[in-house]
Amino acid sequence: MQLTDLVPQITNENLREWFLYNAKEPMLFSTVKFLRLFIIFYAIYILIRGHFKARIFFTAAFSLYFYYLCSERYFVLLVFSSVVDYTLSYFLYRETRPIPRKIYLWFSVIVNLTFLGYFKYTGFILDSAHTLFGLDYSIGRVLLPVGISFYTFQSISYIIEIYRKEITPAKDYLDYLFFVSFFPQLVAGPIVRAKDFIPQIYAKLQLTKADVSNALFLIIGGLIKKTVISDYISLNFVDRVFDAPSSYTAFENLMAAYGYTIQIYCDFSGYSDMAIGIAMLLGFKLPTNFRTPYKSASITEFWRRWHISLSTWLKDFLYISVGGNRHGSFAGFLFPALFFFGLIVWGINFAPTSNIPLIISVTGLVVFTLTFILSKEREKTMFTNINLLTTMLLGGLWHGASLRFIIWGALHGIALSVHKIWLEFFPNKKEGKPGVLGSIWKVVAILLTFHFVAFCWIFFRAKDFANALELINNISTITFDPNQWQTIIMGYKNVFILMGIGYVWHFLPENFTNNLRQSFFHMPLVLKAAIFGLVMWLVYAAASAGPQPFIYFQF
Amino acid sequence: MSQDKPYFFQSFAIVVLSIAALIGFKQFLPEKIFTETAGTKNVVVDSLMLEAAEGAGNAPVEKDTLSNTKISFTATNGVKFPAETFEDYKGFQHLVAFYEKLLQLEKSQQGNVRIAYFGDSMTDGDMIVKDLRSSLQNRFGGEGVGFVNITSESAPSRSTLSHSFSGNWKTQSYLNVKNPRKPFGINGHVFFTKRDTVNPVWVKYKASKLSHLSSLNNATLFYGRSGNTHAKMQVIIGADTINKKLNAGSLLNTMPVSGGDVKSFKANFIAADSIPFYGFNFDDGRGVHVDNFSNRGNSGLPIATFNTNLMKAFNEKLGYDLIVLHYGTNVLNYGSLNYTWYEKKMSKVVAHLRECFPGVAILIISTADKSSKYGTEMKTDSAVVPLTLAQKRYAVQTESGYVNLYTLMGGNGSMVRWVEDVPAYANKDYTHFNFRGSKKISDLIYNQLNDGYEKYKALRGGKPLPKEPKRDSVFPVAKPVQVTKPILNKPAADSFKPAAQPVKKPLQPAAVKPVKPAIVPAKEIKPKELKPQPAQPVTAPVIKDTANAQ
Repeated sequence: MQLTDLVPQITNENLREWFLYNAKEPMLFSTVKFLRLFIIFYAIYILIRGHFKARIFFTAAFSLYFYYLCSERYFVLLVFSSVVDYTLSYFLYRETRPIPRKIYLWFSVIVNLTFLGYFKYTGFILDSAHTLFGLDYSIGRVLLPVGISFYTFQSISYIIEIYRKEITPAKDYLDYLFFVSFFPQLVAGPIVRAKDFIPQIYAKLQLTKADVSNALFLIIGGLIKKTVISDYISLNFVDRVFDAPSSYTAFENLMAAYGYTIQIYCDFSGYSDMAIGIAMLLGFKLPTNFRTPYKSASITEFWRRWHISLSTWLKDFLYISVGGNRHGSFAGFLFPALFFFGLIVWGINFAPTSNIPLIISVTGLVVFTLTFILSKEREKTMFTNINLLTTMLLGGLWHGASLRFIIWGALHGIALSVHKIWLEFFPNKKEGKPGVLGSIWKVVAILLTFHFVAFCWIFFRAKDFANALELINNISTITFDPNQWQTIIMGYKNVFILMGIGYVWHFLPENFTNNLRQSFFHMPLVLKAAIFGLVMWLVYAAASAGPQPFIYFQF
Repeated sequence: MSQDKPYFFQSFAIVVLSIAALIGFKQFLPEKIFTETAGTKNVVVDSLMLEAAEGAGNAPVEKDTLSNTKISFTATNGVKFPAETFEDYKGFQHLVAFYEKLLQLEKSQQGNVRIAYFGDSMTDGDMIVKDLRSSLQNRFGGEGVGFVNITSESAPSRSTLSHSFSGNWKTQSYLNVKNPRKPFGINGHVFFTKRDTVNPVWVKYKASKLSHLSSLNNATLFYGRSGNTHAKMQVIIGADTINKKLNAGSLLNTMPVSGGDVKSFKANFIAADSIPFYGFNFDDGRGVHVDNFSNRGNSGLPIATFNTNLMKAFNEKLGYDLIVLHYGTNVLNYGSLNYTWYEKKMSKVVAHLRECFPGVAILIISTADKSSKYGTEMKTDSAVVPLTLAQKRYAVQTESGYVNLYTLMGGNGSMVRWVEDVPAYANKDYTHFNFRGSKKISDLIYNQLNDGYEKYKALRGGKPLPKEPKRDSVFPVAKPVQVTKPILNKPAADSFKPAAQPVKKPLQPAAVKPVKPAIVPAKEIKPKELKPQPAQPVTAPVIKDTANAQ
């Protein structure tokens, strides 16, 4: 690429390509298109940073434009839902009578969930109705507006926090729009909470050397994780194996499961890091979203480190709303009941061909029931676990409208309950240095947690339930055959190198990463720019790599 | 503290400088990283193709003498298809013998039609072929999955039959073995039992639940010649165990597993060393049967190494009417866009097949679209079109039918669309189809075949059908004459291979007359250049006896 590629002769077509929506080229932070727009935006942003109104208006306008580039006409939806939410919250804040306050709250929540439900779940509900009752409505495919899951949750958090009197609302509509549409986290999170963000709008805009250094450090890491590691291993290995698991050896199936585990982390956390970094360049601090989750020694810990903004959102607004650890509610019981009912029906349906589904479903129910029957505080634990399962089931469904996500959520929900009862019997020792045995146990616990999470990801990734079972079944036939493994690893050398880098990076001690961040901070400005430029080249060169040709092994 | 000073301009400066750095780096750093990794010892590659491609590296580009020509046909059996342009060449004329057999099946429910579908990884796991088989069996009848290998690397992905085997088989494949211990079977493989005193050597087959494939019809073992006289096959069907002595006296031997149809069986092979095993056949003797001979990594060239006598023996037992050659994926990506070498070698392959399977109709299926990355965008690989042209040229020269899968898929950029479609039709390697895409590919092929068939029916008119053709399944009526006679030089028993019926002269309209190809030159091209040059068969006299080999 020459200089003229970045600033070429400007033709009509160029302009259209640069500034208009293009269905074929999604708007991602790692694209040249974004870089071009960001440079223009950032220059103006810095120039007008002293004028509060102008800055807010300009940023909100750019965010809407950014959303238009992501999903074309749906930016209207964003404007519409923000007007509705702002109006309702306006009245809610000024209302003191409990009944109207409840009405405002519910109206807003229902409007938001209706949008989400319509766009995200129509197809799923119709499909399910079709399979269950033979109903056949066809309304065509509903296109999902990008990021709707994220900004809907953000709007809901705003109204609930006002209802709970945890925040004072935005001073005017523009400020609210700025919060909801803030482009760095608009389409893929982190889900920013009103109480963390609204105060920043009104605070003095600050950007220190440390902020910029940290922001660049995050963006660089994010770019490498997302566009180099995740994209490459998914395209060249993981997707292929998941497309047709039985065409591959047991070892390749297993590696695809491990590959997906690091891929989804790199993809998701990489993008989050970029969002946090870009927001930081604008002077806004978004919460950390991932804290090396695979280092967790329990599933409970995992959920404190994985997609933190979502899990805290779910905890505060869903888990607490259905009763938390204090009481049960109709909604809290409904979903687990439906889930286990469906599971048992599925088991019975398959009973003529195989007993395994019935065994699995009954075991699932029994294990889950035992998690509170064995507890000393039976009733309280029951509410906790039922509400926890509801949260995880709906949290699963939030990721996408499919049975696979429900299964994924259920597995995590049940595992969280199991871990709770485990802790009751074998409480963690408080304080004190762990002995040799303790250290060994910690390693075992980390491995166990990691493998459980990796197992659940199979359901998350597979295109359907049968596909997931096929892959698991293939993995179960693995035999120890180092020669074969070595050949496969050599065949997919790049993929395995990247997977290795991904895992090593993930498990690096925290101190090491901190030192690296410190060294980056102390680098002169030019060197920082050079490193950033080098990473951009890496992104470009990795994106130019053709897919690795298909490899057939024979053993 | 100085560190708390506003840092906005510095921040902007870093972003701008980094872009400058990026432009600088691009001047001397490579365009792309992660270049394709080289193969290791266990990666399947077609060694014949590698040799051929290497040898052809410096071959001069030959003048294209076909693309402006009009291709006209001479009548076969009183039926003559209209002339075609090279551009749209399909060669239905060369499938007349096959169509006539189909017509007999359709009109009088008589006889059977057998198709050998040779392919590469595209048809691995019975992809594409299973859909084609199903379309044909739905329309013309026929039960059974056809011929299946003893062991197969793609057995787990095969949905039309569940197939497992012990690890103590020794497999030789025509893909990478030049001189097998015993000749390769029609599936391009030969299997031997390894000496194993502890574990039995076994194979297990179980029928699927798919329609037409829900039984293992007349399961029969195919195996070759050996001095071993004490080998046994122990068949386990449910609770029953039957021991069968294997007589390996002939070049090709068969041994039925049981009298009729079974759902599943296991076969143990006892003291069977040195016997070349080929596979099991499953068919009900009526209707259409399609054998899938897929081989990952195959270019098609290894077929040239088929042993003529053994193939004739296979043909005698199974009676092939159509051979499909579906290759190309493994020939893309060899640097050069000049495929003259491939065209020539494949012409020889077809000639060899005609020698092995006298009278058989041949259908060439071109490579499908495949994408590669150009810059940061996936596009149709630049080798696809040249390869489809080379494949078309050798189809024309060898008087074979031709399906241009690339144009049927939608031409330029179609693979990208097939991959990106929701739901997707092809995999992320931008090469292979998934189940959905395979069905679509099969439909495209079936539709073109059927189009030719309907045209054939219209051209043929209401001429009477020949008398009941002989069945060429393995089981039915014993054919003592054929079994005892040496098979050398003896063409297959088939109504379309008139030499097999020496008593009756081919009076019936169905009998196929030799097809004389005629490629009418365009005005500026000299006739000499245009003369089709099918490779000369190695044993010409054998061919001459049969009807339409030349």
